[in-house]
Amino acid sequence: MKKCYKCGLKGVVYLPQYRIAFCKEHYLEWYSRRVEETIKEFHMFTRESRVLVAVSGGKDSLSLWDVLYRLGYKADGLYIDLGIGEYSERSRIVCERFAQTRGLELHVLSLGEAIATIPEIKRLEKRPPCSFCGQLKRYYMNRFAKEKGYSILATGHNLDDESATLFSNLLAWNMDYLARQFPLLPEGKGFVRRVKPLFKLSEKENALYAFLGGIEYVEEECPFAEGASSIGYKKVLSQLEEESPGTKLRFYMDFLRRLHPLLKAQEVELRHCSICGEPTTGEVCSLCRLRERLSSKTLSSSPSS
Amino acid sequence: MKVRVVYRGQVKELHFEGERVRVMDVLKVMGLSKEYAFVVRGEEILEEREFLRDGEELRVVNAISGGRGYF
Repeated sequence: MKKCYKCGLKGVVYLPQYRIAFCKEHYLEWYSRRVEETIKEFHMFTRESRVLVAVSGGKDSLSLWDVLYRLGYKADGLYIDLGIGEYSERSRIVCERFAQTRGLELHVLSLGEAIATIPEIKRLEKRPPCSFCGQLKRYYMNRFAKEKGYSILATGHNLDDESATLFSNLLAWNMDYLARQFPLLPEGKGFVRRVKPLFKLSEKENALYAFLGGIEYVEEECPFAEGASSIGYKKVLSQLEEESPGTKLRFYMDFLRRLHPLLKAQEVELRHCSICGEPTTGEVCSLCRLRERLSSKTLSSSPSS
Repeated sequence: MKVRVVYRGQVKELHFEGERVRVMDVLKVMGLSKEYAFVVRGEEILEEREFLRDGEELRVVNAISGGRGYF
């Protein structure tokens, strides 16, 4: 291992794309600075903003919450309990412990109480679980942030997530999704501002921050995530990265610099859902339609009906 | 030689032919890449070329979310 780039002591982490090594202390410092620079570069938020961090109990979201807390931002956490048995239970406990040890505020929203658990919805929906789970989380995160007066919603999306999504959108030439892919989605039309401060950091860099920073997180994966197509894209990009370090960051940053400014998202007219009041393109939002399907299914399967 | 590996909450014993086994051999046999995974002994992150000791216990961290585990 090379010596630490900053202090000359034995390095414990080597970053091939930058050809530099760091000791523990200076890796944590480098990571924090990277996040801080990203927040400033994209004008994501300031130290006066009320930030809500969506936490899952995994390394990315807890590393994000930890670094924001250490940098002095006003950041509270939101854990959405998906009701996926022991996995959700363990994830909630890890988030609660994280918040307690740092004296931070954690909100817990139970999906089972709000609409239905993911396993219950899975029995009704034909779509892959990651698809409707993501949709539900986005809906409740936005709604919760608005209700509680948070102006910013921060998620732990990392470089691997973003480059895999870009790769997927390019394979399908999904121009509208490409136009909407950006580290900051502005507020307005019923949405709070959504930001991804970790988008320049890889999953491994986040895992290293969590490990060296002593952050306890859930390593086990969601049982429904197995076989998700994004994993295949991540592995393909990782092969390229191994052969040519820096590929993922170049791929995504050059997209932002060169292609994104040329794209224009299709103008969509949003209105308020006639049932819940949240933004939607139709009369009734997709979540309320799902709720209706769930209740009719429950009624039809009920012995008394 | 053999090593015990803790991976995503599960423990597995890996057996290798010969005594000169490196960290990279553990990753290889588990189908993981150093690009997104690393091996830990206690509090120490091990280098890929480092040799392992017979019977020791390691932790393997796979950073890819949603990935299929080896075990």
